[in-house]
Amino acid sequence: MFETLKVFLRNRKALTGLIIVLVYVAVAVFGPLLLNVDPMDRVGRPHQPPSPDELLGTTRMGRDVFAQVIYGTRTSLAVGFFAGTIIVLIGTFLGIAAGYFGGWFDEVITFFTNVVLVIPQLPLLLVIAAFMGQTSPLVIAIIIGLTSWAWGARVTRSQTLTLRNREYILASELTGERPARMIFVELLPNLLSIIGFNFIGSVTYTIITQATLEFLGLGNPMSVSWGTMLYHAQNTSAITIGAWWEVLVPAVAVAGIGVGLSLLNFGVDEISNPRLRTLGTVAAAVRAQQKLDRQRLAETRA
Amino acid sequence: MSFVIRRLAFYLVAFFVAATANFILPRMMPGNPIDVMFAQQATTLPPEARQALIETFGFASGPLHLQFLDYMKSVFTGNLGYSIRFYPQTVNQVLAYALPWTLLLAGTATILAFCVGSVIGTYAAWRRGGALDAIVTPLSLALQATPAVVIALTALFIFGVALKWLPTGYAFNPSLDPGWTWAFISSTFVHGLMPVFSLMIVFVGGYLVTMRNNMIGQLGEDHVTMGMAKGLSDRRVQFNYAARNALLPSVTSLGLTLGAILGGSLVTEVVFNYPGLGQILYLGIVTRDYPLIQGQLLMTTFATLLANLAVDLLYVLLDPRLRKA
Repeated sequence: MFETLKVFLRNRKALTGLIIVLVYVAVAVFGPLLLNVDPMDRVGRPHQPPSPDELLGTTRMGRDVFAQVIYGTRTSLAVGFFAGTIIVLIGTFLGIAAGYFGGWFDEVITFFTNVVLVIPQLPLLLVIAAFMGQTSPLVIAIIIGLTSWAWGARVTRSQTLTLRNREYILASELTGERPARMIFVELLPNLLSIIGFNFIGSVTYTIITQATLEFLGLGNPMSVSWGTMLYHAQNTSAITIGAWWEVLVPAVAVAGIGVGLSLLNFGVDEISNPRLRTLGTVAAAVRAQQKLDRQRLAETRA
Repeated sequence: MSFVIRRLAFYLVAFFVAATANFILPRMMPGNPIDVMFAQQATTLPPEARQALIETFGFASGPLHLQFLDYMKSVFTGNLGYSIRFYPQTVNQVLAYALPWTLLLAGTATILAFCVGSVIGTYAAWRRGGALDAIVTPLSLALQATPAVVIALTALFIFGVALKWLPTGYAFNPSLDPGWTWAFISSTFVHGLMPVFSLMIVFVGGYLVTMRNNMIGQLGEDHVTMGMAKGLSDRRVQFNYAARNALLPSVTSLGLTLGAILGGSLVTEVVFNYPGLGQILYLGIVTRDYPLIQGQLLMTTFATLLANLAVDLLYVLLDPRLRKA
């Protein structure tokens, strides 16, 4: 365990990503507690640029952008983690079930997964959200969670299939282990890295999608999140009149968490996939050898 | 050949599922969507349009399975009914006007992103850990995780508002008549620059990282080592031995990401007020134009499936093993 942690901390990408994500989580949890401004209060005149009073300026309604982005962090992360959990639960369950039990059960699930995978996501989400009217962050989290599990299910299934053919699984089958024990004790621990990827990727996807849906006006405009901040900024033509802080602040917030999460994912990928990690060294050695060969060739010719 | 037929059957079923979802969704929602729409648009729509709408939606009285049959008939005959926002135009007319703009925008951006991303990815993997890789790979990861909204709004602010280099909206100068004239084409080009490039930046990171990681996988394979051992030139090993194989997964992802491409294009169109499918969908949502929204979903699904089929065919060309099967 300790050894894994050391490898993890030595990977610069993973470490940077982890720090970024932890900062966001800290802001989401403690930020609103330290703030004495309500994000929906009128604190100043409209469209005020950043100043010592309003750290990141005000919106058209005279609301404090700094307070909004802090509260928005809480909403966006909560939606991201909640939907990410739903996606991982459904994807892992279907993936393992399909891969482990096989047969017609697998055929049906795989077929269904592939169908869901080719239907364009965002337009479908837009249609659902449009029919539901102005949707709260919780509802957005649920509809994203229920429609976005297909990729995870597919990856988990193929990994389960490769595990299933390993000898240790055959051995435990021969000793007569029950399916439940096989799944939870033999398969699940070996799928943890895939599940982790799926979770981080899903959280990133959810945060981006939520911001997009709300930007397009499908969220509840009275809730405070990065997406509704962008929506209000767009609707009050903040950009055209030069109120860049209203767009830049939520934009940087969304981009920041996205970068943090994907660095984390990429770093973990490098750690768990030795080929990505060591190939640089191998390639460098090959190149050095080639250079040496060429030099020797030149010398013998001379 | 059986491979192609199997895929065809699969896409047909997938489209059927999407159409069914489209049928079920409005029936699961509280209230009658037709009433909701007419509550808002009561003054602009004549009563016969209401009747036509009810019929095309299959909301006419009758048992559910007959409604479903009616609905499927209208979907598969391509009759999507009237648009409410753009009445008296039909949904088909509205979509047909918007489609070429989206194809132009999303198509150009995707092709550019795919080529640029794959080429840079190939070089980044070849000199893994080198200067190019160290800059380009983290940058791509960052771009990949940045929503299209953010990139489009940033571009709009920098080049449209602050520097005033490029027009901030619409696909061409509205005072010009569309046609094959030099003035119109150059106006379309100038208006398209910002949407196309900001959309390209949204996608380029994904293709770059995929290509780089596939390339690194390929560079560890025996056939590449053999190519090097034979003393082939670096260029030949890099492109003919490694990149050619590494491109296969990228091509597959091209088909699967088409939904995401249309999603990204949708947001970009809204930001730049570009008259494509996304902009139309946005207007449809704002005015609760359900026939338009549903028609849009059906058409997007159809386009995605068609593109996937094209990718399958391309795959047969690229992968000789499938040709023999």
